[in-house]
Amino acid sequence: MAVKKKLNMRKRYEVLTRGMGWDTTYQPMDKVFPYDKFEGIKIKDWSGWEDPFRLTVDSYWKYQAEKEKKLYAIIDSFAQNNGHLNVSDGRYVNALKLFIQGVTPLEYGAHRHYAHLGRHFRGEGTRVACQMQSIDELRHCQTQLHTLSHYNKHFNGMHDPFHMFDRVWYLSVPKSYFEDAMTAGPFEFITSISFSFEYVLTNLLFVPFMSGAAYNGDMATVTFGFSAQSDEARHMTLGLEIIKFMVEQHEDNLPIIQGYIDKHFWRAYRVLALIAMMQDYMLPNSPMSWNEAWQIYYVENMGALFNDLSRYGLRMPKYSDVATAEAEHLSHQTWSDFYNFTHAASFHTWMPDDRKMDWLSEKYPNTFDKHYRPRFEQWREMEKAGERHYFKGLPQLCQTCQIPMFFTEVMSDPMKISRRVSMYKGDRYHTCSDGCKDIFENEPEKFIQAWLPVHQIFQGNCGGADLSDVLKYYHLNEGEDNMEYVGSPDHKRWQEWKGEDKQDETATG
Amino acid sequence: MTYQVEIEPLGEVIEVEEGQTILDASLRAGIYLPYACGHGLCATCKVDVLEGDVEHGEASPFALMDMEKGEGKCLACCAIPTSDLVIEADVEEDPDAESHQVRDFSAKVIEITDLNPRIKGIFLEIENDTIEFQAGHYINLEIPGVAGPARAFSIANSPSDNSIVELNISLVQGGEGTTYIHEQLKVGDELNFSGPYGRFFVRNSAPEPMLFLAGGSGLSSPKSMVLDQFEKGEERKITLIYGARNQQELYYREIFEALAEQHTNFRYIPALSEEPADSNWQGERGMVHEVANSIYDGNFEGNKAYMCGPPPMIDACISTLMQGRCFEKHMFMEHFYTNASKDEKPKSPLFKNI
Repeated sequence: MAVKKKLNMRKRYEVLTRGMGWDTTYQPMDKVFPYDKFEGIKIKDWSGWEDPFRLTVDSYWKYQAEKEKKLYAIIDSFAQNNGHLNVSDGRYVNALKLFIQGVTPLEYGAHRHYAHLGRHFRGEGTRVACQMQSIDELRHCQTQLHTLSHYNKHFNGMHDPFHMFDRVWYLSVPKSYFEDAMTAGPFEFITSISFSFEYVLTNLLFVPFMSGAAYNGDMATVTFGFSAQSDEARHMTLGLEIIKFMVEQHEDNLPIIQGYIDKHFWRAYRVLALIAMMQDYMLPNSPMSWNEAWQIYYVENMGALFNDLSRYGLRMPKYSDVATAEAEHLSHQTWSDFYNFTHAASFHTWMPDDRKMDWLSEKYPNTFDKHYRPRFEQWREMEKAGERHYFKGLPQLCQTCQIPMFFTEVMSDPMKISRRVSMYKGDRYHTCSDGCKDIFENEPEKFIQAWLPVHQIFQGNCGGADLSDVLKYYHLNEGEDNMEYVGSPDHKRWQEWKGEDKQDETATG
Repeated sequence: MTYQVEIEPLGEVIEVEEGQTILDASLRAGIYLPYACGHGLCATCKVDVLEGDVEHGEASPFALMDMEKGEGKCLACCAIPTSDLVIEADVEEDPDAESHQVRDFSAKVIEITDLNPRIKGIFLEIENDTIEFQAGHYINLEIPGVAGPARAFSIANSPSDNSIVELNISLVQGGEGTTYIHEQLKVGDELNFSGPYGRFFVRNSAPEPMLFLAGGSGLSSPKSMVLDQFEKGEERKITLIYGARNQQELYYREIFEALAEQHTNFRYIPALSEEPADSNWQGERGMVHEVANSIYDGNFEGNKAYMCGPPPMIDACISTLMQGRCFEKHMFMEHFYTNASKDEKPKSPLFKNI
């Protein structure tokens, strides 16, 4: 038996990274790391953080370079072969518009803030994990922009996503969620993004986009999805490790963490309302319904996770039951709202065709035929009569999630608008749910500062008083990027490409 | 045809016979690789194949993804080499783990006793041989006429008594193996087993006091471990909380009470969950985790906990310990995968060893 002892994987990494963290002597540690104590999270021993990946920058670079090569080869061939002509229908591209406007800027925000955490956590293991993730997020942002830039050549509405992210009303939903986390302390941010968003809800975001892309012939998006997903395993593990680390460090941390979990579950979940409607309505071929995805990825998988977390004394996020009850309504209500406000959106909406209506009836046996199908059939009739309508006023927004107040009382009366009111310093604030109301009332000083797009329009801060002024301020090309899909420039081009322009125009989607 | 398998990072080279799994060969060569179920379900034994090829055998597609096969991973408990190999396992040499070769033994039943109405003590004498093992280890016992894999039972005697293997076996409702042992096995029968196996042992390098939580026939490992510790002159505090339903089910009480008299650093606390309220019982009443919680006043920080017993007992104890601030790193338990394990509720990746 030949014996030549080598160090094991953990020891090798320890030797390689020794001395990367030290206590400062010229300046007190509390001045060098000023942000990691004020939240009240107590860390007794930062070395208790165990890096489960033990990835060096060297191997990180090699691994990512390999993935990039594969991805860019696919993107090139997709462009050369006019891959956009192979997607299931021109309507599908609206899902990508929502993605590049609403999700890609979040990747960039995550890049920025993980870089911040990579500087400001006291423990070097935690810092390294955040630095790696920061680079991942920048890659995700870039690969998404590069992949989708091909679509930008052929479809409207994708020309200025970062500008739109900062201004357009519905994009203030993901923006305000992320900035809520970024303006909190480092422990709240990492619980929010690494745990609530990237662990608890990640499959609900990823599956609709990536398997949606696969089901609709978009191989370029599928590939960047796979490329990003191989990093997500690392990000998800960071989400779990940080929770374990915080709870095990000190018993006083438990109620603080439960508070973060409750808040950021609901904040992140509200953002997913956009995903739900994308999944059920924008994808011509849907791999699974929002409700099915919710049952599998939240009710079952997260049920198992919280079953394990209950050993620490943590419980399911507050209002999980409301979210589960809402799963049968969420996509229909959100799509209805966007259908009414598409004149101010940088993507198109449309009424489902018969095949889609039947699919929705099948997937939502308790709600679709009863509450939503009659409404949609009526709107389809109005379209046929040349009365495609848009809502002319501006909606009331929830002070917390910034979504128009269209959610309903799903636990008691699903046809009654859910509206909560809080008084603070003599002013009245409206929220869409108990979840958003609790969040507002826990931090009123933070949320009364919310940049609510409707209020800002009324205050004259968005380019002017007319729709056209506001659309200019959004960098949105009126008559091209917005309005109904049927008859839009996108639709006409699609029909030309497919040779459908000579056919009967009434055979709409 | 045999193949040479080099195991990184240890650099040890072992011989693997035609058709033999990597795990079996390495355990028999005295090299521990992480494993648990031993038949491709739990993925604990996943290793990287750096050079060479393997046949993946019975690895479950849920334990070893297709993608991972492509990346050169395999499950050591199922994988059979088809060439010479270099593998890398995430092996942490635990300073407290003794390495004993796994071997096949044949033994004669020399005594069968009723430890309590449901548990039999089976004493096996190894013929012309001895078994080296660490307290807490188990054996795989072949049961005559009973199909399927060998059944795992923990060794209840101290390692110093190495020509004998004592097993404490309770009758499992509808269990073929334990029914045979309870109804047909008799003194003088010959039985075959292999061993020792397992990763359940006392962390002697840890200075913390020890808490043993045991229930039912799960007393066997803690008995072996406690006896072994005191034979070696243990000076740390040891507490054994043993759960049974009633006084008739308490067994080996006299051994532990005598031990507690001899050693002031040993506490023996029997806990009865179904003892009639009007009986003469003066001791603790309640489930193991409830009694532990009240004795430790809900704070287990700074203890090492060792658990052995029925899964619901272990489950309740883990939660109690964790809410009392004793976490995964400080708790140890033996996992027995039974045929029913496949139907357990889904597990999240939060914990590695629980």
